[in-house]
Amino acid sequence: MLKLEHVSKVYRTSEVETLALSDVSLEIGGGEFVAIMGPSGCGKSTLMNLLGLLDSPSEGAYWFFGEDVARYSEARLTGLRRDRIGFVFQSFNLIDDLTVAENVEVALLYRKVPGPERKRRVREALERVGIAHRASHRPQQLSGGQQQRVAVARALVSEPKLILADEPTGNLDTANGEAVMALLSDAAKAGVTVVMVTHSLTQAASAHRTIKLLDGRVVAETLLAA
Amino acid sequence: MFRNYLAAALRNLTRNGLYAGITIAGLAIGFAAAILIGLYVRHELTYDQFVPGHGQVYLVNLKITGAIDQPINEDTTTADLADQLKLDFPQIQYTARLIGTGFPPAVRRGDINVGEQNFIWADPDVFKVMPVPAVAGDPATALEAPDAVVLSRSGARKYFGRDAPIGGVLQVDGHPMRVTAVIEDLPSNSHLRGDVFGSSKAAFSAISQYGRGGALSNVVATYIRLKPGASGPEMQAELPGFVAKRIMPAINEQAPNEHLHEVFTLKPLTSIHLETASGDLKPGADVKVLAGIAVIGVLIVLVAAINFVTLMTARASRRAVEVGVRKAVGAERRDLIVQFMGEALVYVAIALVVAVALAELVLPGVNAALQRKIAFDYLSDLPLLASMIAVAAGVGLLAGIYPALVLSAFRPALVLKGGPIEGAGGARVRQLLVVAQFAVLITLVLSTLTIYRQTVFALKDATHTDKDQVVMLFASPCTDTLRDAVRALPGVVGAGCASPYAISFGDTIDEITTGGRLLTTHFAPVDFGFFEVYGVKPLAGRLFEESRPGDDAARTGATAPPIVVNQSFVRALGLASPQAALGHQIVWHYRPNFRLAQNDAPAPPSASSEIVGVVPDFTFGSARDLIPPTYYYVAAKNDLVTSVVLNIKLDPSRVAETLPAIDRVWDRTSGGLPVQRFFADQFLLRLYIDTLIQGAFIAVCALIAVSIACLGLFALSAYTAERRTKEIGVRKAMGASSGDILKLLLWQFSQPVLIACLVAWPIAWLAMNWWLQGFAYRVDLAPWTFLASGAAAVVIALATVLAHAWRVSRAKPVGALRYE
Repeated sequence: MLKLEHVSKVYRTSEVETLALSDVSLEIGGGEFVAIMGPSGCGKSTLMNLLGLLDSPSEGAYWFFGEDVARYSEARLTGLRRDRIGFVFQSFNLIDDLTVAENVEVALLYRKVPGPERKRRVREALERVGIAHRASHRPQQLSGGQQQRVAVARALVSEPKLILADEPTGNLDTANGEAVMALLSDAAKAGVTVVMVTHSLTQAASAHRTIKLLDGRVVAETLLAA
Repeated sequence: MFRNYLAAALRNLTRNGLYAGITIAGLAIGFAAAILIGLYVRHELTYDQFVPGHGQVYLVNLKITGAIDQPINEDTTTADLADQLKLDFPQIQYTARLIGTGFPPAVRRGDINVGEQNFIWADPDVFKVMPVPAVAGDPATALEAPDAVVLSRSGARKYFGRDAPIGGVLQVDGHPMRVTAVIEDLPSNSHLRGDVFGSSKAAFSAISQYGRGGALSNVVATYIRLKPGASGPEMQAELPGFVAKRIMPAINEQAPNEHLHEVFTLKPLTSIHLETASGDLKPGADVKVLAGIAVIGVLIVLVAAINFVTLMTARASRRAVEVGVRKAVGAERRDLIVQFMGEALVYVAIALVVAVALAELVLPGVNAALQRKIAFDYLSDLPLLASMIAVAAGVGLLAGIYPALVLSAFRPALVLKGGPIEGAGGARVRQLLVVAQFAVLITLVLSTLTIYRQTVFALKDATHTDKDQVVMLFASPCTDTLRDAVRALPGVVGAGCASPYAISFGDTIDEITTGGRLLTTHFAPVDFGFFEVYGVKPLAGRLFEESRPGDDAARTGATAPPIVVNQSFVRALGLASPQAALGHQIVWHYRPNFRLAQNDAPAPPSASSEIVGVVPDFTFGSARDLIPPTYYYVAAKNDLVTSVVLNIKLDPSRVAETLPAIDRVWDRTSGGLPVQRFFADQFLLRLYIDTLIQGAFIAVCALIAVSIACLGLFALSAYTAERRTKEIGVRKAMGASSGDILKLLLWQFSQPVLIACLVAWPIAWLAMNWWLQGFAYRVDLAPWTFLASGAAAVVIALATVLAHAWRVSRAKPVGALRYE
């Protein structure tokens, strides 16, 4: 499903060269729920950006649902992203000027989903995360937990094959964190591949497998009871 | 503390070079435009105030009503009026009569031989009525001798190459005249344009010639200076009695059936320029147009100030941390308001200095375009300096207050944590300001388009003549000999003489009767071939034909020749069609030897003529005036009243060699007079100089407004694109392509422009509709011009923001999201 072969990522500025990922190889199967762990600066976000086609590797191959996308153009990556991936960010990344429903709708907007169907799917997604009653509010009017549930709804609404969650509970209290984790687990059970970055061992325990990163390398993989 | 503020302000300015540059450039361009507009408006409002004791000086204005198609309003009177006034009003100290219009006399000295456009025939007391500084001689007495001329300094240099050629001799229309004084050049805000003043006492002067025209010949400008202490309004109150006693009897004798009524008004010297009437020596200014120009000046400053506000608040987020820190360490909101207001004033001060330099740089060009000599002595001109500083400071304070309030309102805890900097309110205000800017811009663009269209229409379609490749050669009089010699040239298609009235250079009226009805109409002596030269074709009947001797008044003698009339004439007769007018008998006052100088002879006996042809309404006059009912006949070519110009249609392929050939014919036949010829379309252009200046002026203002608005929008788009990086990142992560983002950004920048269209269109419609009302023949306000101006604004706006939108839309989302 997802396969990285000897992937490296180097960030260059005029003065510094940073090796963010170094010779990473890993494979993630369909419907798998994977947690990525590691200290700050270990390359978790870089890995997520590569997996999410938001960035391309400097070296190596990335097989994304059977295609090597490592050298794809921005436009082709955009197309794949649109069709296959949903994102959940630690800082929610909701658009302040749009309502809750409109924020969720953004994920369908660029998939050319017809208007009435869009409305229906947005409503369903909001109901699924239990936030339908706040559909016409602005993000600032919601609590952090509510905002993250909107973000999860936005990730789910497009029925992606892959959900990438970058510390989805990092800004949430325990109860809200658990609620979001439950939503991700449900998605995985429904056959969606979920890759999540987390610092929390408790939450990592919801995953099928944890991958530990240190200084841009995979240092440990632990298979948990599925 | 102040030093700290100043340091922050100046470093902020240098650190944000692009924004600061744009902010200051916008303000500076706006201020420079406002300075120039202010100088121009002040110049126009202060005409003739340089004349010592100008409050005692008046020009006599004459209004005539009665059985005439349009009431007459002119600043000219009979030549006798000055003396009549002096007899009846002891409070008059001096009078002077001037003739400056009409055909310029030929002035010659050595190799210089020109038709002097700036020649004024004047009474000896002219420089007592309107004293001017002398360079040499005594202007007050200089014109006493009949062969005296007074020159301006420029005139003296032009003809003699030196400043004080006292005793020097000029040939004026072939007569020797002596220079008796030289005066300083008249300032450009004088209503007179004179480089050569000839004594009215010369027997051949226009005042002597036309002055015998009788009670209805209003051809001279009559000026009076009242004795010190005497009151103009008091004299004005006595004028109706004077008119009834001295003026009306002669008029009623000369035109018994026209029920004319004359009203004299004393027009203060300083109002001549703004209260124009026909016969003025220089084109006047329309107060309403001046007000319009002043409003445009204010609008430009407004657009620049809006820019200032937009840019200052847009950059607010960059100052947020500074505000947070200052507040955290104890600054009060008041302190910060003072700081940011101060910064605004620093910007404004820099902009003002740049604006002054800009204005100085551009002023010579402006002067040349407006035909003015406006000075910009801001250092010695205290009111000017004060008002410049006051306006700049006012703009600085007003434009600074809003950004200062926004910036100072930041909550330190929030901004230091990096939380949201501002709500939607600020963005909405900025949108509103962009709408206002573009509304101004669209209005100006629409005005420019309409003025341009009307001018083209007035010059081409409204005259209903084909003036292409037609040359007008002025000759007094234009004779058959001259005409036939020119017709014989190979490159000449056709030629015909015409009276000044035929080319709308002055007009004259007659009272006719037909079928028992009395009508006042215009008339114009013409020549064979005149209509043909201008492509005027008969609607019914025929034109004048040389093969019919009966058409030529020079041959018919005492018998009235047949006439051709225009469509207005047919309508005035109450006839349904041109065809119906053919064969009608018109009783009119035919003078076999029509000379203006003989006008005071008893009214000529009535004669009857047949209408043989009807032509379309055509004119050489202004599209501002209705084309009057007019009849035409072929007159004997006695003098410049019956025949003053030869109209020559050229073969377009042979223009280059034909023009010199015409000049050679002129040199052979004229006896040494300078050749004065114009292309017909140039001749017509003189009527629209003010319109052209208005149009060019508004076009320039539109350009300035466009550039200021674009500067602002450019910076705003950079800021907006930056501010929305996160949103764009999210959208891209969700699968939006670069094209989707570009469309989104461009659409969002188009919205305020589209709203601006809705605001601007009705305003422009009202303004231009009002302006067009001044024309009897005018273009419609075409819908396409409205759409075009809106489209132009959208295109300009999109072109301005495209660069930033493009850059942002191409950015990788990962960068955008990390930004967060």
